[in-house]
Amino acid sequence: MELAVELEGLRKTFTVTRGKGLSRTRTEVVAVDGVSFTVPSGQSVALIGPNGAGKSTTIKMLTGILNPTSGEARVLGLVPWKQRSRLAYHLGAVFGQRSQLWYHLPPGDTFDLLARIYELDRADYARRRDMLIERFGLGAFLNTQVRKLSLGQRMRAEIAASLLHKPSVLFLDEPTIGLDVVARQELRDLIRQWNREEGLTVFLTSHDAGDIESVARRVIVVNHGRVVLDDKVSTVRRRYLGSKVLSVKFHERPATVELAGVSVVKTSDYALKLEVDTRIAPIELVINKVLEAGAVADITIEDPPLEEIIAHIYAAGAAGSAAEEVRTA
Amino acid sequence: MRFWQKYPAVGLASARSNLAYLGEVTSRVIFLGIILYIFLRLWKVTFTQAAAQQLGGFTLEQMLWYLAVTESIMLSAPRVAQLVDEDVRTGALSVQLIRPMSYPLYRLWTTLGERLVRFLVNSAVAAAVVCLLVGPIKWSLPGLLIFVLSLPLAFALDFLGNFLVGLGAFWLEDTTGLLLIYSRVTMIMGGMLIPLELLPDAIRTAFQTLPFASMVYGPAKLFVHPDVPTLLDILARQSVAVLVFALVIAAVYRLAMRRVFANGG
Repeated sequence: MELAVELEGLRKTFTVTRGKGLSRTRTEVVAVDGVSFTVPSGQSVALIGPNGAGKSTTIKMLTGILNPTSGEARVLGLVPWKQRSRLAYHLGAVFGQRSQLWYHLPPGDTFDLLARIYELDRADYARRRDMLIERFGLGAFLNTQVRKLSLGQRMRAEIAASLLHKPSVLFLDEPTIGLDVVARQELRDLIRQWNREEGLTVFLTSHDAGDIESVARRVIVVNHGRVVLDDKVSTVRRRYLGSKVLSVKFHERPATVELAGVSVVKTSDYALKLEVDTRIAPIELVINKVLEAGAVADITIEDPPLEEIIAHIYAAGAAGSAAEEVRTA
Repeated sequence: MRFWQKYPAVGLASARSNLAYLGEVTSRVIFLGIILYIFLRLWKVTFTQAAAQQLGGFTLEQMLWYLAVTESIMLSAPRVAQLVDEDVRTGALSVQLIRPMSYPLYRLWTTLGERLVRFLVNSAVAAAVVCLLVGPIKWSLPGLLIFVLSLPLAFALDFLGNFLVGLGAFWLEDTTGLLLIYSRVTMIMGGMLIPLELLPDAIRTAFQTLPFASMVYGPAKLFVHPDVPTLLDILARQSVAVLVFALVIAAVYRLAMRRVFANGG
Protein backbone atom coordinates (compact mmCIF):
# COMPACT_ATOMS: atom_id res chain seq x y z
CA MET A 1 0.00 0.00 0.00
CA GLU A 2 1.37 3.39 -0.98
CA LEU A 3 1.90 5.71 1.97
CA ALA A 4 1.04 9.39 1.76
CA VAL A 5 2.36 10.29 5.19
CA GLU A 6 4.95 8.58 7.39
CA LEU A 7 6.08 9.79 10.80
CA GLU A 8 8.66 8.13 13.00
CA GLY A 9 9.44 9.39 16.49
CA LEU A 10 8.66 12.97 15.55
CA ARG A 11 9.45 15.31 18.40
CA LYS A 12 9.32 19.08 18.76
CA THR A 13 10.35 21.13 21.76
CA PHE A 14 10.17 24.88 22.24
CA THR A 15 12.10 27.06 24.61
CA VAL A 16 9.77 29.33 26.52
CA THR A 17 11.18 32.39 28.30
CA ARG A 18 9.44 33.49 31.48
CA GLY A 19 10.00 36.53 33.69
CA LYS A 20 11.93 39.72 32.92
CA GLY A 21 15.48 40.98 33.25
CA LEU A 22 17.79 39.00 35.49
CA SER A 23 14.98 36.80 36.80
CA ARG A 24 14.29 35.56 33.29
CA THR A 25 14.17 31.77 33.07
CA ARG A 26 14.09 29.50 30.04
CA THR A 27 12.04 26.32 30.09
CA GLU A 28 11.86 23.61 27.50
CA VAL A 29 8.29 22.71 26.54
CA VAL A 30 7.57 19.48 24.70
CA ALA A 31 4.88 20.13 22.08
CA VAL A 32 5.16 16.82 20.21
CA ASP A 33 6.66 13.85 21.98
CA GLY A 34 7.78 11.06 19.66
CA VAL A 35 4.72 10.75 17.42
CA SER A 36 4.72 7.83 14.95
CA PHE A 37 2.06 6.77 12.47
CA THR A 38 1.52 6.22 8.76
CA VAL A 39 -1.34 7.24 6.50
CA PRO A 40 -2.00 5.34 3.26
CA SER A 41 -2.81 7.35 0.13
CA GLY A 42 -6.46 8.23 -0.15
CA GLN A 43 -7.28 7.78 3.52
CA SER A 44 -9.16 10.40 5.47
CA VAL A 45 -7.78 10.89 8.95
CA ALA A 46 -8.94 13.07 11.80
CA LEU A 47 -6.16 14.30 14.04
CA ILE A 48 -7.86 15.42 17.20
CA GLY A 49 -6.95 16.46 20.70
CA PRO A 50 -7.58 19.21 23.24
CA ASN A 51 -6.05 22.67 22.77
CA GLY A 52 -2.27 22.53 23.16
CA ALA A 53 -2.17 18.77 22.54
CA GLY A 54 0.33 19.11 19.67
CA LYS A 55 -1.98 18.71 16.63
CA SER A 56 -1.12 22.00 15.03
CA THR A 57 2.61 21.54 15.65
CA THR A 58 2.43 18.10 14.03
CA ILE A 59 0.60 19.51 10.99
CA LYS A 60 3.10 22.35 10.71
CA MET A 61 5.97 19.88 10.67
CA LEU A 62 4.16 17.80 8.05
CA THR A 63 3.73 20.87 5.84
CA GLY A 64 7.37 21.87 6.28
CA ILE A 65 6.69 25.07 8.21
CA LEU A 66 8.44 23.80 11.33
CA ASN A 67 11.63 21.79 11.72
CA PRO A 68 11.33 18.95 14.22
CA THR A 69 13.76 18.67 17.13
CA SER A 70 14.21 15.00 16.28
CA GLY A 71 12.52 12.19 14.39
CA GLU A 72 11.64 11.65 10.78
CA ALA A 73 8.71 12.33 8.49
CA ARG A 74 7.90 11.90 4.83
CA VAL A 75 4.93 13.31 3.01
CA LEU A 76 4.46 11.92 -0.51
CA GLY A 77 8.01 10.64 -0.22
CA LEU A 78 9.46 14.09 0.53
CA VAL A 79 10.96 15.38 3.76
CA PRO A 80 8.69 18.38 4.41
CA TRP A 81 11.12 20.74 6.16
CA LYS A 82 13.87 20.07 3.62
CA GLN A 83 11.75 20.01 0.47
CA ARG A 84 8.95 22.40 1.41
CA SER A 85 8.79 24.23 -1.93
CA ARG A 86 8.55 21.00 -3.93
CA LEU A 87 6.01 19.53 -1.56
CA ALA A 88 3.85 22.67 -1.61
CA TYR A 89 2.75 21.95 -5.20
CA HIS A 90 1.07 18.75 -3.97
CA LEU A 91 -0.48 20.00 -0.75
CA GLY A 92 -3.75 21.81 -0.23
CA ALA A 93 -4.78 23.49 2.98
CA VAL A 94 -7.90 25.10 4.38
CA PHE A 95 -7.63 26.95 7.64
CA GLY A 96 -11.15 27.68 8.87
CA GLN A 97 -10.05 30.83 10.63
CA ARG A 98 -7.63 32.12 7.99
CA SER A 99 -8.69 32.90 4.47
CA GLN A 100 -6.63 32.40 1.36
CA LEU A 101 -9.15 34.34 -0.71
CA TRP A 102 -8.48 38.01 -1.38
CA TYR A 103 -11.06 39.89 0.66
CA HIS A 104 -11.76 42.69 -1.82
CA LEU A 105 -11.65 40.54 -4.96
CA PRO A 106 -14.16 37.97 -6.24
CA PRO A 107 -13.25 34.29 -5.67
CA GLY A 108 -12.71 33.92 -9.44
CA ASP A 109 -9.79 36.38 -9.27
CA THR A 110 -8.15 34.45 -6.44
CA PHE A 111 -8.56 31.26 -8.49
CA ASP A 112 -6.74 32.93 -11.41
CA LEU A 113 -3.96 34.03 -9.08
CA LEU A 114 -3.64 30.58 -7.52
CA ALA A 115 -3.33 29.11 -11.02
CA ARG A 116 -0.27 31.35 -11.49
CA ILE A 117 1.13 30.55 -8.05
CA TYR A 118 0.85 26.80 -8.64
CA GLU A 119 2.10 27.24 -12.23
CA LEU A 120 -0.89 25.44 -13.74
CA ASP A 121 -1.27 24.95 -17.45
CA ARG A 122 -3.92 27.46 -18.64
CA ALA A 123 -6.14 24.91 -20.39
CA ASP A 124 -5.93 22.40 -17.52
CA TYR A 125 -6.69 25.15 -15.06
CA ALA A 126 -9.75 26.34 -17.00
CA ARG A 127 -11.17 22.81 -17.10
CA ARG A 128 -10.49 22.19 -13.42
CA ARG A 129 -11.91 25.59 -12.38
CA ASP A 130 -15.13 25.03 -14.36
CA MET A 131 -15.57 21.61 -12.80
CA LEU A 132 -15.04 22.93 -9.27
CA ILE A 133 -17.40 25.85 -9.89
CA GLU A 134 -20.10 23.43 -10.93
CA ARG A 135 -19.53 20.88 -8.17
CA PHE A 136 -19.22 23.42 -5.38
CA GLY A 137 -22.09 25.55 -6.72
CA LEU A 138 -19.94 28.68 -6.97
CA GLY A 139 -21.39 30.06 -10.21
CA ALA A 140 -23.86 32.42 -8.54
CA PHE A 141 -21.20 34.29 -6.55
CA LEU A 142 -18.00 33.67 -8.47
CA ASN A 143 -17.78 37.33 -9.46
CA THR A 144 -18.93 38.77 -6.15
CA GLN A 145 -16.31 40.25 -3.85
CA VAL A 146 -15.43 37.87 -1.01
CA ARG A 147 -16.34 40.47 1.60
CA LYS A 148 -19.96 40.30 0.41
CA LEU A 149 -20.25 36.49 0.67
CA SER A 150 -21.84 34.52 3.49
CA LEU A 151 -19.50 32.37 5.57
CA GLY A 152 -20.91 29.21 3.98
CA GLN A 153 -20.28 30.55 0.46
CA ARG A 154 -16.82 31.68 1.43
CA MET A 155 -15.85 28.31 2.87
CA ARG A 156 -17.08 26.52 -0.25
CA ALA A 157 -14.91 28.85 -2.31
CA GLU A 158 -11.99 28.30 0.10
CA ILE A 159 -12.12 24.54 -0.32
CA ALA A 160 -12.53 24.80 -4.10
CA ALA A 161 -9.49 27.13 -4.13
CA SER A 162 -7.45 24.57 -2.21
CA LEU A 163 -8.34 21.85 -4.75
CA LEU A 164 -7.53 23.86 -7.90
CA HIS A 165 -4.02 22.47 -8.23
CA LYS A 166 -5.19 18.88 -7.68
CA PRO A 167 -3.33 18.31 -4.42
CA SER A 168 -2.61 14.78 -3.24
CA VAL A 169 -2.93 15.66 0.44
CA LEU A 170 -5.44 18.13 1.84
CA PHE A 171 -5.05 19.58 5.32
CA LEU A 172 -8.29 20.85 6.82
CA ASP A 173 -8.06 22.82 10.02
CA GLU A 174 -11.49 23.47 11.58
CA PRO A 175 -13.09 23.79 8.14
CA THR A 176 -16.67 24.12 9.41
CA ILE A 177 -16.07 26.54 12.27
CA GLY A 178 -18.84 29.14 12.50
CA LEU A 179 -21.04 27.54 9.82
CA ASP A 180 -24.72 26.80 10.28
CA VAL A 181 -25.98 23.19 10.32
CA VAL A 182 -26.92 23.06 6.62
CA ALA A 183 -23.73 24.68 5.35
CA ARG A 184 -21.70 22.45 7.65
CA GLN A 185 -23.28 19.28 6.28
CA GLU A 186 -22.91 20.49 2.66
CA LEU A 187 -19.24 21.09 3.17
CA ARG A 188 -18.66 17.72 4.85
CA ASP A 189 -20.41 15.96 1.97
CA LEU A 190 -18.25 17.77 -0.56
CA ILE A 191 -15.04 16.86 1.23
CA ARG A 192 -16.10 13.24 1.55
CA GLN A 193 -17.02 13.04 -2.14
CA TRP A 194 -13.70 14.49 -3.14
CA ASN A 195 -11.80 12.11 -0.90
CA ARG A 196 -13.55 9.16 -2.59
CA GLU A 197 -13.50 10.37 -6.16
CA GLU A 198 -9.96 11.72 -6.41
CA GLY A 199 -8.29 9.45 -3.87
CA LEU A 200 -7.30 12.57 -1.99
CA THR A 201 -5.63 11.99 1.37
CA VAL A 202 -7.47 14.16 3.88
CA PHE A 203 -5.97 15.29 7.16
CA LEU A 204 -8.63 16.87 9.33
CA THR A 205 -8.24 18.65 12.63
CA SER A 206 -11.47 19.66 14.27
CA HIS A 207 -13.17 19.92 17.62
CA ASP A 208 -16.47 19.09 15.95
CA ALA A 209 -17.41 15.44 16.33
CA GLY A 210 -19.76 15.76 13.35
CA ASP A 211 -16.83 16.71 11.09
CA ILE A 212 -14.88 13.70 12.28
CA GLU A 213 -17.76 11.26 11.79
CA SER A 214 -18.75 12.61 8.39
CA VAL A 215 -15.32 13.10 6.87
CA ALA A 216 -12.84 10.74 8.52
CA ARG A 217 -12.60 6.96 8.57
CA ARG A 218 -9.72 6.92 10.99
CA VAL A 219 -9.12 8.96 14.10
CA ILE A 220 -5.79 9.72 15.77
CA VAL A 221 -6.12 11.26 19.20
CA VAL A 222 -3.18 13.31 20.42
CA ASN A 223 -2.79 14.47 23.99
CA HIS A 224 0.24 15.97 25.73
CA GLY A 225 2.19 15.58 22.47
CA ARG A 226 1.61 11.83 22.24
CA VAL A 227 -0.71 9.60 20.26
CA VAL A 228 -3.15 8.19 22.81
CA LEU A 229 -5.41 6.45 20.34
CA ASP A 230 -5.26 5.50 16.68
CA ASP A 231 -8.15 3.51 15.24
CA LYS A 232 -11.12 3.47 12.89
CA VAL A 233 -13.85 5.93 13.83
CA SER A 234 -16.39 3.07 13.92
CA THR A 235 -14.16 0.92 16.15
CA VAL A 236 -13.55 3.81 18.52
CA ARG A 237 -17.28 4.19 18.83
CA ARG A 238 -17.77 0.54 19.68
CA ARG A 239 -14.77 0.08 21.91
CA TYR A 240 -14.90 3.27 23.87
CA LEU A 241 -18.56 3.39 24.30
CA GLY A 242 -19.61 -0.01 25.38
CA SER A 243 -22.94 1.69 25.68
CA LYS A 244 -26.08 2.35 23.67
CA VAL A 245 -28.95 4.73 24.07
CA LEU A 246 -32.42 3.19 23.82
CA SER A 247 -35.40 5.47 23.23
CA VAL A 248 -38.72 3.65 23.63
CA LYS A 249 -42.32 4.83 23.16
CA PHE A 250 -45.12 2.75 24.69
CA HIS A 251 -48.84 2.44 23.99
CA GLU A 252 -49.46 2.27 27.73
CA ARG A 253 -47.72 3.33 30.91
CA PRO A 254 -44.72 0.95 31.14
CA ALA A 255 -43.55 -1.03 34.16
CA THR A 256 -40.18 -0.12 35.67
CA VAL A 257 -37.15 -1.49 33.86
CA GLU A 258 -34.57 -2.54 36.40
CA LEU A 259 -31.44 -4.28 35.25
CA ALA A 260 -27.76 -4.09 36.18
CA GLY A 261 -25.92 -1.89 33.65
CA VAL A 262 -29.07 0.01 32.62
CA SER A 263 -29.73 3.54 33.79
CA VAL A 264 -32.75 5.69 33.03
CA VAL A 265 -31.75 8.93 31.33
CA LYS A 266 -35.23 10.37 30.87
CA THR A 267 -38.74 9.21 31.57
CA SER A 268 -42.29 10.40 30.88
CA ASP A 269 -45.74 8.74 30.98
CA TYR A 270 -45.35 6.77 27.76
CA ALA A 271 -41.65 7.07 26.97
CA LEU A 272 -38.33 5.94 28.34
CA LYS A 273 -34.75 6.80 27.47
CA LEU A 274 -32.22 4.30 28.77
CA GLU A 275 -28.44 4.19 28.68
CA VAL A 276 -27.17 0.63 28.47
CA ASP A 277 -23.69 -0.54 29.37
CA THR A 278 -23.53 -3.41 26.89
CA ARG A 279 -20.57 -4.97 28.70
CA ILE A 280 -22.83 -5.61 31.70
CA ALA A 281 -26.25 -5.90 30.09
CA PRO A 282 -26.36 -7.43 26.60
CA ILE A 283 -28.65 -5.42 24.31
CA GLU A 284 -30.96 -8.42 23.56
CA LEU A 285 -31.60 -8.84 27.28
CA VAL A 286 -32.48 -5.17 27.65
CA ILE A 287 -34.84 -5.26 24.65
CA ASN A 288 -36.61 -8.29 26.09
CA LYS A 289 -36.97 -6.50 29.41
CA VAL A 290 -38.37 -3.43 27.64
CA LEU A 291 -40.89 -5.55 25.70
CA GLU A 292 -41.99 -7.10 28.97
CA ALA A 293 -42.45 -3.65 30.50
CA GLY A 294 -45.33 -2.72 28.16
CA ALA A 295 -46.67 -2.67 24.60
CA VAL A 296 -44.00 -0.94 22.55
CA ALA A 297 -45.06 1.62 19.92
CA ASP A 298 -41.59 2.60 18.72
CA ILE A 299 -38.00 1.83 19.63
CA THR A 300 -34.66 3.35 18.49
CA ILE A 301 -31.17 2.25 19.44
CA GLU A 302 -28.40 4.83 19.05
CA ASP A 303 -24.75 5.22 19.82
CA PRO A 304 -24.01 8.09 22.17
CA PRO A 305 -22.61 11.19 20.45
CA LEU A 306 -18.92 11.10 19.48
CA GLU A 307 -18.33 14.11 21.72
CA GLU A 308 -18.81 11.85 24.71
CA ILE A 309 -16.29 9.34 23.41
CA ILE A 310 -13.75 12.06 22.74
CA ALA A 311 -14.29 13.56 26.18
CA HIS A 312 -13.86 10.08 27.65
CA ILE A 313 -10.58 9.51 25.76
CA TYR A 314 -9.22 12.92 26.78
CA ALA A 315 -10.18 12.27 30.39
CA ALA A 316 -8.52 8.84 30.28
CA GLY A 317 -5.40 10.41 28.74
CA ALA A 318 -5.27 13.12 31.41
CA ALA A 319 -5.71 10.54 34.19
CA GLY A 320 -2.93 8.42 32.66
CA SER A 321 -0.56 11.39 32.52
CA ALA A 322 -1.37 12.36 36.10
CA ALA A 323 -0.68 8.80 37.27
CA GLU A 324 2.61 8.82 35.37
CA GLU A 325 3.61 12.14 36.95
CA VAL A 326 2.87 10.72 40.42
CA ARG A 327 4.97 7.64 39.64
CA THR A 328 7.84 9.83 38.36
CA ALA A 329 7.68 12.00 41.49
CA MET B 1 9.42 31.00 -16.70
CA ARG B 2 6.08 30.27 -15.02
CA PHE B 3 7.86 30.54 -11.66
CA TRP B 4 8.59 34.23 -12.26
CA GLN B 5 5.13 35.01 -13.66
CA LYS B 6 3.49 34.30 -10.31
CA TYR B 7 4.95 37.34 -8.56
CA PRO B 8 3.79 40.01 -11.02
CA ALA B 9 0.37 38.29 -10.87
CA VAL B 10 0.43 38.77 -7.07
CA GLY B 11 1.31 42.45 -7.62
CA LEU B 12 -1.57 42.89 -10.05
CA ALA B 13 -4.05 41.24 -7.68
CA SER B 14 -2.81 43.50 -4.90
CA ALA B 15 -3.25 46.61 -7.07
CA ARG B 16 -6.78 45.59 -8.03
CA SER B 17 -7.63 44.75 -4.45
CA ASN B 18 -6.44 48.17 -3.33
CA LEU B 19 -8.72 49.95 -5.76
CA ALA B 20 -11.43 49.01 -3.25
CA TYR B 21 -9.81 51.39 -0.77
CA LEU B 22 -10.24 54.48 -2.95
CA GLY B 23 -12.72 55.92 -0.44
CA GLU B 24 -9.89 56.08 2.07
CA VAL B 25 -8.15 58.51 -0.28
CA THR B 26 -10.59 61.28 0.63
CA SER B 27 -8.97 61.75 4.03
CA ARG B 28 -5.53 61.70 2.46
CA VAL B 29 -6.58 64.34 -0.09
CA ILE B 30 -7.55 66.71 2.70
CA PHE B 31 -4.31 65.98 4.57
CA LEU B 32 -2.20 66.51 1.46
CA GLY B 33 -3.98 69.78 0.66
CA ILE B 34 -3.43 71.14 4.18
CA ILE B 35 0.24 70.12 4.27
CA LEU B 36 1.02 71.62 0.90
CA TYR B 37 -0.79 74.87 1.77
CA ILE B 38 1.16 75.18 5.07
CA PHE B 39 4.45 74.61 3.26
CA LEU B 40 3.53 77.12 0.59
CA ARG B 41 3.07 79.76 3.32
CA LEU B 42 6.30 78.75 5.10
CA TRP B 43 8.40 78.75 1.95
CA LYS B 44 6.87 82.03 0.79
CA VAL B 45 8.04 83.66 4.04
CA THR B 46 11.47 82.00 3.74
CA PHE B 47 11.95 83.15 0.14
CA THR B 48 10.82 86.68 1.05
CA GLN B 49 13.09 86.85 4.11
CA ALA B 50 16.03 85.53 2.12
CA ALA B 51 15.15 87.92 -0.70
CA ALA B 52 16.07 85.11 -3.10
CA GLN B 53 14.57 83.79 -6.30
CA GLN B 54 16.09 80.38 -5.63
CA LEU B 55 17.13 78.39 -2.54
CA GLY B 56 19.44 75.42 -3.08
CA GLY B 57 18.68 75.61 -6.78
CA PHE B 58 14.87 75.50 -6.24
CA THR B 59 12.40 78.28 -7.05
CA LEU B 60 9.28 78.57 -4.86
CA GLU B 61 7.25 76.70 -7.50
CA GLN B 62 9.85 73.94 -7.78
CA MET B 63 10.01 73.69 -3.99
CA LEU B 64 6.26 73.05 -3.84
CA TRP B 65 6.45 70.47 -6.64
CA TYR B 66 9.37 68.82 -4.83
CA LEU B 67 7.19 68.59 -1.72
CA ALA B 68 4.25 67.24 -3.74
CA VAL B 69 6.45 64.34 -4.90
CA THR B 70 8.04 63.60 -1.50
CA GLU B 71 4.64 63.67 0.23
CA SER B 72 3.13 61.43 -2.44
CA ILE B 73 5.95 58.93 -1.96
CA MET B 74 5.80 58.95 1.82
CA LEU B 75 2.01 58.81 2.08
CA SER B 76 1.83 55.92 -0.38
CA ALA B 77 3.90 53.60 1.82
CA PRO B 78 1.94 50.42 2.64
CA ARG B 79 1.96 48.99 6.17
CA VAL B 80 4.61 46.38 5.37
CA ALA B 81 6.23 46.16 8.80
CA GLN B 82 2.86 45.89 10.57
CA LEU B 83 1.69 43.21 8.13
CA VAL B 84 4.82 41.11 8.62
CA ASP B 85 4.51 41.64 12.37
CA GLU B 86 0.86 40.47 12.26
CA ASP B 87 1.71 37.47 10.07
CA VAL B 88 4.34 36.38 12.58
CA ARG B 89 2.30 37.02 15.70
CA THR B 90 -1.04 35.57 14.57
CA GLY B 91 0.46 32.57 12.80
CA ALA B 92 -1.03 33.75 9.47
CA LEU B 93 2.50 33.27 8.13
CA SER B 94 1.76 29.54 7.94
CA VAL B 95 -0.88 30.13 5.23
CA GLN B 96 1.79 31.81 3.11
CA LEU B 97 4.54 29.30 3.85
CA ILE B 98 2.41 26.37 2.68
CA ARG B 99 2.37 27.76 -0.87
CA PRO B 100 5.03 27.28 -3.53
CA MET B 101 6.43 30.77 -3.33
CA SER B 102 8.82 32.87 -1.35
CA TYR B 103 7.21 34.83 1.48
CA PRO B 104 9.53 37.86 1.13
CA LEU B 105 8.89 38.00 -2.63
CA TYR B 106 5.14 37.61 -2.05
CA ARG B 107 5.20 40.55 0.34
CA LEU B 108 7.40 42.58 -2.02
CA TRP B 109 4.92 42.23 -4.88
CA THR B 110 1.80 42.80 -2.79
CA THR B 111 3.51 45.95 -1.53
CA LEU B 112 4.47 47.14 -5.02
CA GLY B 113 0.91 46.59 -6.26
CA GLU B 114 -0.57 48.48 -3.35
CA ARG B 115 1.98 51.23 -3.60
CA LEU B 116 1.40 51.75 -7.29
CA VAL B 117 -2.30 52.47 -6.72
CA ARG B 118 -1.69 54.68 -3.70
CA PHE B 119 1.12 56.61 -5.36
CA LEU B 120 -0.88 57.28 -8.54
CA VAL B 121 -3.82 58.60 -6.54
CA ASN B 122 -1.64 60.66 -4.19
CA SER B 123 0.42 62.20 -6.95
CA ALA B 124 -2.70 63.07 -8.99
CA VAL B 125 -4.19 64.83 -5.97
CA ALA B 126 -0.89 66.53 -5.02
CA ALA B 127 -0.40 67.72 -8.61
CA ALA B 128 -3.89 69.19 -8.69
CA VAL B 129 -3.37 70.97 -5.34
CA VAL B 130 0.05 72.38 -6.31
CA CYS B 131 -1.29 73.48 -9.69
CA LEU B 132 -3.96 75.43 -7.87
CA LEU B 133 -1.46 76.96 -5.44
CA VAL B 134 1.51 77.85 -7.67
CA GLY B 135 0.65 76.68 -11.17
CA PRO B 136 2.06 73.89 -13.35
CA ILE B 137 5.74 73.00 -13.53
CA LYS B 138 7.66 72.98 -16.79
CA TRP B 139 7.82 69.34 -17.81
CA SER B 140 8.80 67.14 -20.74
CA LEU B 141 8.18 63.53 -21.64
CA PRO B 142 11.87 62.48 -21.29
CA GLY B 143 11.97 64.31 -17.93
CA LEU B 144 8.91 62.42 -16.75
CA LEU B 145 10.43 59.16 -17.92
CA ILE B 146 13.62 59.88 -15.96
CA PHE B 147 11.53 60.47 -12.84
CA VAL B 148 9.46 57.30 -13.37
CA LEU B 149 12.61 55.21 -13.84
CA SER B 150 13.84 56.26 -10.42
CA LEU B 151 10.70 54.96 -8.66
CA PRO B 152 10.72 51.11 -8.80
CA LEU B 153 14.00 50.68 -6.92
CA ALA B 154 13.04 53.47 -4.51
CA PHE B 155 9.86 51.57 -3.62
CA ALA B 156 11.70 48.24 -3.46
CA LEU B 157 14.30 49.76 -1.14
CA ASP B 158 11.64 51.17 1.17
CA PHE B 159 9.95 47.76 1.18
CA LEU B 160 13.19 46.08 2.23
CA GLY B 161 13.68 48.52 5.10
CA ASN B 162 10.13 47.98 6.33
CA PHE B 163 10.30 44.21 5.88
CA LEU B 164 13.46 44.12 7.97
CA VAL B 165 11.67 46.03 10.74
CA GLY B 166 8.72 43.59 10.49
CA LEU B 167 11.05 40.60 10.87
CA GLY B 168 11.96 42.08 14.26
CA ALA B 169 8.67 40.49 15.46
CA PHE B 170 10.50 37.17 15.64
CA TRP B 171 12.64 38.54 18.47
CA LEU B 172 10.78 41.53 19.92
CA GLU B 173 7.50 41.81 21.79
CA ASP B 174 6.56 44.90 19.80
CA THR B 175 8.10 46.40 16.67
CA THR B 176 6.21 49.72 16.85
CA GLY B 177 9.23 51.51 18.34
CA LEU B 178 11.54 50.27 15.59
CA LEU B 179 9.02 51.28 12.95
CA LEU B 180 8.68 54.75 14.42
CA ILE B 181 12.45 55.23 14.30
CA TYR B 182 12.62 53.90 10.74
CA SER B 183 9.84 56.17 9.45
CA ARG B 184 11.22 59.29 11.15
CA VAL B 185 14.72 58.60 9.86
CA THR B 186 13.30 58.15 6.35
CA MET B 187 11.46 61.46 6.64
CA ILE B 188 14.42 63.45 7.94
CA MET B 189 17.39 61.85 6.20
CA GLY B 190 15.32 61.13 3.10
CA GLY B 191 14.69 64.84 2.55
CA MET B 192 10.92 64.73 2.80
CA LEU B 193 10.49 68.26 4.12
CA ILE B 194 13.66 70.01 2.97
CA PRO B 195 15.76 69.26 -0.11
CA LEU B 196 19.20 68.04 0.98
CA GLU B 197 20.83 71.00 -0.88
CA LEU B 198 19.65 73.29 1.93
CA LEU B 199 21.52 71.35 4.61
CA PRO B 200 25.13 72.06 5.69
CA ASP B 201 27.68 70.35 3.40
CA ALA B 202 28.82 67.68 5.91
CA ILE B 203 25.28 66.64 6.79
CA ARG B 204 24.17 66.72 3.16
CA THR B 205 27.04 64.44 2.12
CA ALA B 206 26.26 62.03 4.96
CA PHE B 207 22.53 61.95 4.16
CA GLN B 208 23.16 61.49 0.44
CA THR B 209 25.35 58.49 1.17
CA LEU B 210 22.64 56.82 3.21
CA PRO B 211 19.94 54.79 1.42
CA PHE B 212 17.02 56.94 2.64
CA ALA B 213 17.85 59.75 0.19
CA SER B 214 17.50 57.28 -2.71
CA MET B 215 13.92 56.56 -1.63
CA VAL B 216 12.53 60.09 -1.31
CA TYR B 217 14.92 62.90 -2.19
CA GLY B 218 16.34 61.25 -5.32
CA PRO B 219 13.08 60.76 -7.24
CA ALA B 220 11.69 64.15 -6.11
CA LYS B 221 14.87 65.94 -7.23
CA LEU B 222 14.67 64.18 -10.60
CA PHE B 223 11.07 65.30 -11.03
CA VAL B 224 12.06 68.95 -10.59
CA HIS B 225 15.49 68.78 -12.26
CA PRO B 226 15.48 65.75 -14.53
CA ASP B 227 18.86 64.79 -15.95
CA VAL B 228 20.42 61.51 -17.00
CA PRO B 229 23.70 61.67 -14.97
CA THR B 230 21.73 62.27 -11.74
CA LEU B 231 19.39 59.41 -12.66
CA LEU B 232 22.34 57.07 -13.22
CA ASP B 233 23.89 58.16 -9.92
CA ILE B 234 20.61 57.53 -8.05
CA LEU B 235 20.04 54.18 -9.77
CA ALA B 236 23.56 53.11 -8.81
CA ARG B 237 23.00 54.12 -5.17
CA GLN B 238 19.61 52.40 -5.13
CA SER B 239 21.04 49.20 -6.64
CA VAL B 240 23.84 48.99 -4.07
CA ALA B 241 21.42 49.68 -1.21
CA VAL B 242 18.91 47.10 -2.51
CA LEU B 243 21.68 44.52 -2.76
CA VAL B 244 22.95 45.21 0.77
CA PHE B 245 19.41 45.22 2.27
CA ALA B 246 18.50 42.04 0.37
CA LEU B 247 21.58 40.24 1.70
CA VAL B 248 20.86 41.37 5.25
CA ILE B 249 17.22 40.29 4.91
CA ALA B 250 18.22 36.90 3.49
CA ALA B 251 20.43 36.31 6.54
CA VAL B 252 17.86 37.60 9.07
CA TYR B 253 15.01 35.72 7.36
CA ARG B 254 16.99 32.50 7.52
CA LEU B 255 17.46 32.98 11.25
CA ALA B 256 13.82 34.00 11.68
CA MET B 257 12.52 30.84 9.99
CA ARG B 258 14.20 28.81 12.70
CA ARG B 259 12.14 30.71 15.23
CA VAL B 260 8.70 30.08 13.70
CA PHE B 261 6.51 28.92 16.55
CA ALA B 262 3.34 26.92 16.28
CA ASN B 263 0.98 29.45 17.74
CA GLY B 264 -2.54 28.06 17.88
CA GLY B 265 -4.76 26.61 15.19
